[in-house]
Amino acid sequence: MPKPVNSKQRFFIIASTIFGCLLILFFGLRAIHAFMKFKGHRPPQPAPGQIETDVELIREWMTIPFIARMYYVPEKVLYDALDIPPRENRDKSLEEINKEYFPRSDGLAMQLVKAAILAHQPPPTAVLPLTPLPPLTPLPPLTPVPPVTP
Amino acid sequence: MDEFLLTQVINYGAPLLGIIVFVGGLGVPLPCTVIVIAAGAFARQDILSWEVAALISIVSVVIGDSISYSFGYYSRDKVLSRFSSSPQWAKAEESFRKWGPLSIFFSRFLVTAIALPVNLLSGTTGFPFRKFFVYDLFGEIVWIFGYGGLGYLFGSQWELVSEFMGNFGGAVLGAIIFIFGIKQVWNWQEKKKMLSM
Repeated sequence: MPKPVNSKQRFFIIASTIFGCLLILFFGLRAIHAFMKFKGHRPPQPAPGQIETDVELIREWMTIPFIARMYYVPEKVLYDALDIPPRENRDKSLEEINKEYFPRSDGLAMQLVKAAILAHQPPPTAVLPLTPLPPLTPLPPLTPVPPVTP
Repeated sequence: MDEFLLTQVINYGAPLLGIIVFVGGLGVPLPCTVIVIAAGAFARQDILSWEVAALISIVSVVIGDSISYSFGYYSRDKVLSRFSSSPQWAKAEESFRKWGPLSIFFSRFLVTAIALPVNLLSGTTGFPFRKFFVYDLFGEIVWIFGYGGLGYLFGSQWELVSEFMGNFGGAVLGAIIFIFGIKQVWNWQEKKKMLSM
């Protein structure tokens, strides 16, 4: 004979069902939001070997050698833009560099790096205007073929 | 934490990635999935060699999981002395024998939040280690190649992939709890019917 469900078990069952529902709603909506952002108006991802050009992808955790590699910019250009020595700053993130060298201006290191990359990037090549095609010449009228005589 | 670890992974490469997933396998709450997706993106940017990173990660995380299994296994006597007489424990052991392989496999990559409890439970319920090892290995291969592959595929957009996968995992966990709750309600109604007969 099965035991009846007591009130404690009942509470646990109802609470877990509601909790599961809430988790689905919360994470589901966030997942949909992330998916929509992903599907949004992002520039196409460059193929391996192609140069990344979107400087908005730079983050505070990135190091100078990493950024240099990502954007195909010589490290020296970035160190010069920040006016800091390369040797002791290779392993530091932009956030650490900012704290150490620009403590009064939040995010300055990142701005300087972005500006240096943009200045170093080759100017976009102008798209040549399309050459207009000559107007179509009308075809001569078809000459009727004489009927074949047997 | 995520940002600190990401900086260290680009500085120290695959060995550090291995240490992170090993510690994660032991049960320390580290953002391992985020790091694995990012590592895939770093491999695309030639910061990491994907072959070396994948091999080191798989070996490290499987060792970490095996150690956390052993925590459960060696605490088995203590747990049994306390719970072995209860019918719930016998039920739990039986149901883990049935659902264990699936839960080990899917908790490696889909619902990573329950990976540690699953490892401990596997050890405590005496789930055979060889079986645990095989399902763990396959699950971790899916995790490393699947999530790392997504990072590789989407490159610098890996953050959005990571955000999506993290939330998707949370929603799956919610669905599991919800289904569990509904199943219990169903059983409860069945019991009610039987008692009223």
